[in-house]
Amino acid sequence: MDYANLRRQAASLKRSLFDQGYLDEQFCQVEDLQDEASPNFAEEVVSLFFKDSARLVTNIEQAMEKYPKDFNRWDAHMQQLRGSCFSIGASKMNNECTSFRNSCREENAEGCRRSFQKVKREHAVLRQKLESYFQLLRQAGPARTTAVRSGGK
Amino acid sequence: MASSLKALLVEDTAVQRMVLSALLRKQFHCEITMAENGKEAVDMFLEGNTFDIVFCDKDMPIMTGPEAVGKIRAMGATDVKIVGVSTDFEAMEAFMSAGADVFVPKPIRLDVVEPMIQEVINKKNN
Repeated sequence: MDYANLRRQAASLKRSLFDQGYLDEQFCQVEDLQDEASPNFAEEVVSLFFKDSARLVTNIEQAMEKYPKDFNRWDAHMQQLRGSCFSIGASKMNNECTSFRNSCREENAEGCRRSFQKVKREHAVLRQKLESYFQLLRQAGPARTTAVRSGGK
Repeated sequence: MASSLKALLVEDTAVQRMVLSALLRKQFHCEITMAENGKEAVDMFLEGNTFDIVFCDKDMPIMTGPEAVGKIRAMGATDVKIVGVSTDFEAMEAFMSAGADVFVPKPIRLDVVEPMIQEVINKKNN
């Protein structure tokens, strides 16, 4: 298996996630916290993020259904999700969370609904892209150093 | 930088606890205790626990960060450095009024935390 190529693919995917605004510098800080004792720290954090954020999205959905126009409640739930987004550098998701909160402040229910659909969409896209990224990293395995043997024939 | 600082993280979101605790543990070798809301944090102080630094989120269930900070200061814990943390800059006033020493916006960055930790280490050593 061409591990170097897999690593290149992972690096390229990660670069594109930054270039397209899905992730920001905070993601690098999370990856920098990986070490020999916790080599999969970033993946564990991201996994926890998606578990947590899925729950928070459900909470928001239920709140919007059960408490129509309770913008304070909606906002409080979204604030939690936004905080999580900050933790892993989920920049696009974060922006949509902010839009939602702005709509709450304006008491614009339709704006909230539109923003919430975008939050869910960005959540799904980011999940798929990061799953691909970590799958590539897992396939590539730990970084290997290849000793180049020079020798005569 | 090595330290034996005792840090209390007051944060209701698991992801944020995980990232910040890893940052403090790995970069500064802090001994970490976690609380999931302001009341748990206050209870820790009431139980006689001491900390060198507290990182406290603002919006949490049961008891908010500023409310917890106010109660912690009111019980005489004036030496501990309390850092208010939030995604909203508007939270700064609430934290500072409650008695926090400093406010930092989320996400907490290494270059922002490092001088704070160093200040606490220096104070502890002197």
